[in-house]
Amino acid sequence: MAVHKRSYHSYVGQLTPAWSRFLIVSRYAFRNAFTSRSLFAYFVLCFAYPLGCAVAIYMNHNLRLLEMFHESSFFTVDASFFYHYQNVQAMLAFILAALIGPGLVSPDLANHALPLYFCRPFSRVEYVLGKAFVLIALLSLVTWIPGEILFMIQSTLAGVSWMWTNLWMAGSVFLGSAIKILVFSLLALALSAWIKRKPAAGAALLGVFFFGAGFGQAINAVLRTRNGTLIDLASLLARIESQLFRQHTTRLTAVPADRAWIALLAISAFCLFLLEKKVRAYEVVRG
Amino acid sequence: MNDQRIIFEDVSKFYGEVLGVNRVNLSIPPGITSLVGPNGSGKTTLMNLMTGLVRPSSGRITVLGMSTDEPERLFRKVGYCTQFDSFPKGLTGYQFVYSYLRLFGHPHPVADQLATQAIERVNLGEAAHRQIAGYSKGMRQRIKLAQAMCHQPSALVLDEPLNGLDPLIRAETIALFRSLAQEGLHVIISSHVLHEVDTLSDQVVLLSNGYVVAEGQIHGVREEIHEHPMQILIRCNKPSELASRAFCEDYMVEARILPDGQGVLAKTRDADRFYLLLNRLAQSGIEIESVAPADDDVLSVYEYLIGEEAPTK
Repeated sequence: MAVHKRSYHSYVGQLTPAWSRFLIVSRYAFRNAFTSRSLFAYFVLCFAYPLGCAVAIYMNHNLRLLEMFHESSFFTVDASFFYHYQNVQAMLAFILAALIGPGLVSPDLANHALPLYFCRPFSRVEYVLGKAFVLIALLSLVTWIPGEILFMIQSTLAGVSWMWTNLWMAGSVFLGSAIKILVFSLLALALSAWIKRKPAAGAALLGVFFFGAGFGQAINAVLRTRNGTLIDLASLLARIESQLFRQHTTRLTAVPADRAWIALLAISAFCLFLLEKKVRAYEVVRG
Repeated sequence: MNDQRIIFEDVSKFYGEVLGVNRVNLSIPPGITSLVGPNGSGKTTLMNLMTGLVRPSSGRITVLGMSTDEPERLFRKVGYCTQFDSFPKGLTGYQFVYSYLRLFGHPHPVADQLATQAIERVNLGEAAHRQIAGYSKGMRQRIKLAQAMCHQPSALVLDEPLNGLDPLIRAETIALFRSLAQEGLHVIISSHVLHEVDTLSDQVVLLSNGYVVAEGQIHGVREEIHEHPMQILIRCNKPSELASRAFCEDYMVEARILPDGQGVLAKTRDADRFYLLLNRLAQSGIEIESVAPADDDVLSVYEYLIGEEAPTK
C-alpha cells in the first residue's frame, strides 16, 4: 500500500457570484457568432430600418422641411407606424436567430463537450440561459431597443402629452418583441440541440416557419377550419402583435388572440421539453 | 476516514433496460486507482456516477464525504476528463482551461494564474496560446488533463488519459499522476494498456459486464484466485534438482525447466509453502539467484477473471 501524505490543498479563495457564471458561456458564444464577417454585416444591416425611421421622425418634425413641402406632417407616428416597424424588425430578427442559433448548442453536442460544462458547479439551466442570452441580447438590439429609442425620439419631438397618450405603445413594443425573442430563441436552441449539423439546424428553423405556414393554410383549406393557423408561427405572432398594437386583423384565417397566446405558450413549452431531453451530460440510450 | 474515500454502496445504474453497472460496492482510498475492463464493462458509467454526471438507479455514492447530489460542493473537489476530444471551436489551450476556471467562479487574476500553472504542469507552456485545433493527439490529451486539474481538485477522474500519448509523454504523464497521488489526491483512471496499469496503480478495479469482479492491490487480488495456480519464476544453478524436490510436495502443480536451462517456472496452489520450500532448498546448496511471481500482474488477473483476451498487452 502506497503511503500518501496529504500535502495538496484545494483552492479556498474568493469566487465570483454564482448568478453571473452563465455569462462566461455567453461571452464565448458571442465571440464565435461574430467570427463571420457576413453575419456581422447582416447584423449591421438590421439597424438600417430603425435608422431610416429615426430620420423620418426627425424630418416629420422639421418645420423648415414641412414648410418647404407645404405640409403639416408627412405621416402620423401612431400605433400603425410601430406595428409596421415591429413586423419589419421581426423578420430581420428571425433571420438573425436562424443564422446564430444553430451554432450555439449543436457544436457542443457534436464535440461531446456537455460533460465538461456539467462537471463544474454549473447547471443545465445556466447553460441554456448562457446560450439563450446571446440570442436575447442580439435580438433585443435589433427589436425593442431601437423601437423604444424611436418612441423616445418621437416623444421628445412631439411633446410630453403625446408621450403620455401613447405610452402604451412603448409597452407593446417591448412586450411584442419579448414574445418574439423568446419564441425565436427557444426554437433556435431546441433545433440546435436536436440537429447536430449547423446548416441543417438553420434550415430546419426556416422550415418550421415557412412549412408551418404552408401546412397550416393547407389544413385550413382542406378541413375548412381556422385551427391550422395554430401551427403557423408567423400568423400566431402577427395575431398577437395586432392585438398589442390594437390593429384590426382582416385575415379570415386568423385565430382569436387568446388561442394564439396559448399556442405560443405550448410551442415554447415544447421547445423547453426538447432542450431538457437533449441538454444532458450524457445522452440516455434506451436499449 | 470516509471523507477521504470514494464510496459506492450497492450502486446500480440502468439505462432503460440496459445495464450500466450492477450492485457495485467499492471504497476507493487516495492514490492511483485503475478501472480495467473490456468495452461496455461499465468503466465510463462508474466514472460518470462518481462525478455526479449520471445518477444511480439505486444505491448511494459519496465522494470525499460528499453526496454526488451536491454539485456546487462536489465539483470543486473533483476534476473530470472525458475520453472524447471535447473542444469548443477556435479556442487556444489557455482559453480552454481559463474559460472552465471562470465557470468555477474564479475571478480573472486567479483563473489566469491557475490556468497557467495547470498548463505548465502538463508541459504545454509553449503551446498554450496556440489553437487546440492545431494540437497533436498527445497535446490534446494533456490540455484535457490540465482542464481537469486546473481548479486544484482532490479527486481526478480521467477516462482513458493515456490514449494517444507517445512513450516519452506517456512516461511524463504517468510521473505526473504519481506525483499527484503522492500529494494525497485520488487519481482514478480507466485504461486499456494493462502493463501500464500494472506499474502505475496502487489499486485496480476489474469490471466485466457491469459487475466488479475484483478490486484491491493486484497482488492481493491474484492471491485470491485459487482456481489458477500461482506461477513463480526461479533462477537458480540446479533447476533439475529444484524441480524434482518441488514435485515431492502435494501443493505443486507443475515445474517446468526454462528453455535456457537456468531456472524453473513453477505452478503452485500454495505460494507461501512454496517460498518456505525455496528457503530450505537454498540452505541445502541450490544457489537461487532470483524468485519472482510470473502471473502476479493485471494482465494475468484480467485473463483469469474476465476470461477474454486482454485488450492491449
